[in-house]
Amino acid sequence: MSARAFALRAAALLLLVLFVTAPGLFAFAFRPLTVNGAPAIYNQGSLLALTLSHLRIVVLATLASTILAVGLGIFVTRPSGAEFLPLSRSLVNIGQTFPPIAVLAIAVPLVGFGEKPTFIALFLYGLLPIFENTLTGLMDVSPQTLEAAKGMGLNPRQRLMQVELPLALPVILAGIRLSVIISLGTATIGSTVAAKGLGEVIIAGLQSNNVAFVLQGGLVVALLAVLIHDGMGLAERAVARRLGRPVDEVA
Amino acid sequence: MIEIEHLTKRYGATIVVEDVSLRVDEGTIAVIVGTSGAGKSTLLRMINRLVEPSAGRVLIDGQDTMAIPEDELRHRIGYVIQGYGLFPHRTVAENIATVPRLLGWDKRRIAARIEELLDLFQLEPGEFAKKFPHELSGGQQQRVGVARALAAKPGLLLMDEPFGALDPVIRSKAQDDLVAIQRRLGTTIVLVTHDMNEAFQLGDRIAVMDQARLLQYDTPAQLLTHPAEAFVEQLVGTAERPFRLLSLTRVQAALEPGAADGDPILVSESLRDALSRLIWVGRDALPVVDATGAALGRVSVRGILAHGRSIA
Ligand SMILES: Nc1ncnc2c1ncn2[C@@H]1O[C@H](COP(=O)(O)OP(=O)(O)OP(=O)(O)O)[C@@H](O)[C@H]1O
Ligand SMILES: [Mg+2]
Repeated sequence: MSARAFALRAAALLLLVLFVTAPGLFAFAFRPLTVNGAPAIYNQGSLLALTLSHLRIVVLATLASTILAVGLGIFVTRPSGAEFLPLSRSLVNIGQTFPPIAVLAIAVPLVGFGEKPTFIALFLYGLLPIFENTLTGLMDVSPQTLEAAKGMGLNPRQRLMQVELPLALPVILAGIRLSVIISLGTATIGSTVAAKGLGEVIIAGLQSNNVAFVLQGGLVVALLAVLIHDGMGLAERAVARRLGRPVDEVA
Repeated sequence: MIEIEHLTKRYGATIVVEDVSLRVDEGTIAVIVGTSGAGKSTLLRMINRLVEPSAGRVLIDGQDTMAIPEDELRHRIGYVIQGYGLFPHRTVAENIATVPRLLGWDKRRIAARIEELLDLFQLEPGEFAKKFPHELSGGQQQRVGVARALAAKPGLLLMDEPFGALDPVIRSKAQDDLVAIQRRLGTTIVLVTHDMNEAFQLGDRIAVMDQARLLQYDTPAQLLTHPAEAFVEQLVGTAERPFRLLSLTRVQAALEPGAADGDPILVSESLRDALSRLIWVGRDALPVVDATGAALGRVSVRGILAHGRSIA
């Protein structure tokens, strides 16, 4: 990692931590955006608490998406599950094309307000990238490698755990990263159904016509996204290197 | 020893291997040759049950392979394919350790075996053990592929075009090395190729296949002198025949009493090499010595030609 890249990362992290713990420090920057003496800094709750619950729901939803998507990806690439491949592909695609806001609208009457409908929306929305990348990763394992593994007497389970999954891991991780980034942004709409999160800041800004609030909410989400994207990219490359493959920047 | 008895493979209505029977003696190399799509790989893969036979059976040392659980069977049989299928995420040492690990060997035994094999295949352990496959040349990958297949000391080694991806120079060295290692370990080998030269260089016996059928299974010399069918004759190459025969025969066979001038020829060399040397140095005869350098007699162009005609 170059010194400049490192400095940039450290600066972004520092900015984020300072901003959510002591937002008052930045009042001077937001004051020009306010009118009629409206507050420059979000004052209806702790930014730190909102950030943490925002992250919590994203992490939980992604975890759930990962478990289902990777599990499903493994299942439909086995001989016994191959016939379900087209079906599962369309199902997961529907999860992606269905707008999260519509999911919320449907879920609220069923499970009530709060975190639950948001969790469901993020979970469904996060499935596709992980599922598709799991499929790509598993199907890209060279047939020769698999033939050799089989010929040496690795049973199906050993082939999966010792050969296929390790080789597919960098691609699967890239899918998880994509899903996390999408969820970070999408989670803001959860505030419309009373889930705690950074969407509250944005919505408060919209309701009181306070641009400063909207920007603050956006800024924290954006910083989180950049840092997480970057951090997971580093992890992927480390894994790929450990697998003996100097993988160039995964998309 | 392996005995293949009336082995048949059908996919739907197509017959891919039809009623093939052959026997490979302990410690010998059997080469399966034939045109593309003849069923060679299928025949080979039925031996370790990567393909389940439609009919017939395979006996290894008298035991029906169907009586052995398939993973266990494969642990006992080395398998090398074209392109080798090395695990890209594992080092050379880890690749070689694959089957011993599955068999639950302890760490020290595995480490010792890896070192022994790397030495055997002329790969300096200190340099190569920790490398990944993508850091190796084609020839080195090939050697690791064979080393990995031999790791758990299988009595039988199956090879499907193991030299197909090598350039001609490295290929011929790899073939020589394989024979040397095979003679040393006494491994029984069944090898598939569609390179006739390779078949003649490696095979104690050669099986010629065409369109799912085994046309002939014989020693190289028999194949040359008594081809069973026109297809075999065509495959072994009529024009090449005398030279192939000469390359199968040692100088011993045309040894004459007497002396000659010039650099001596080893009695263990082939008549083809001897003839080629005689032509090159422009002499009618050269002295013959044994491995210790003791003079045995001489070999002459006329003698080799006479011999070539007599065996043809
Ligand atoms: N799983 C399968 N299903 C249907 N047909 C198959 C299958 N596997 C092989 N075949 C057919 O069986 C025939 C023999 O295949 P095989 O791979 O044994 O040929 P080969 O002699 O090894 O050829 P090559 O020299 O090209 O490797 C081919 O026509 C091939 O298309
Ligand atoms: Mg083949």
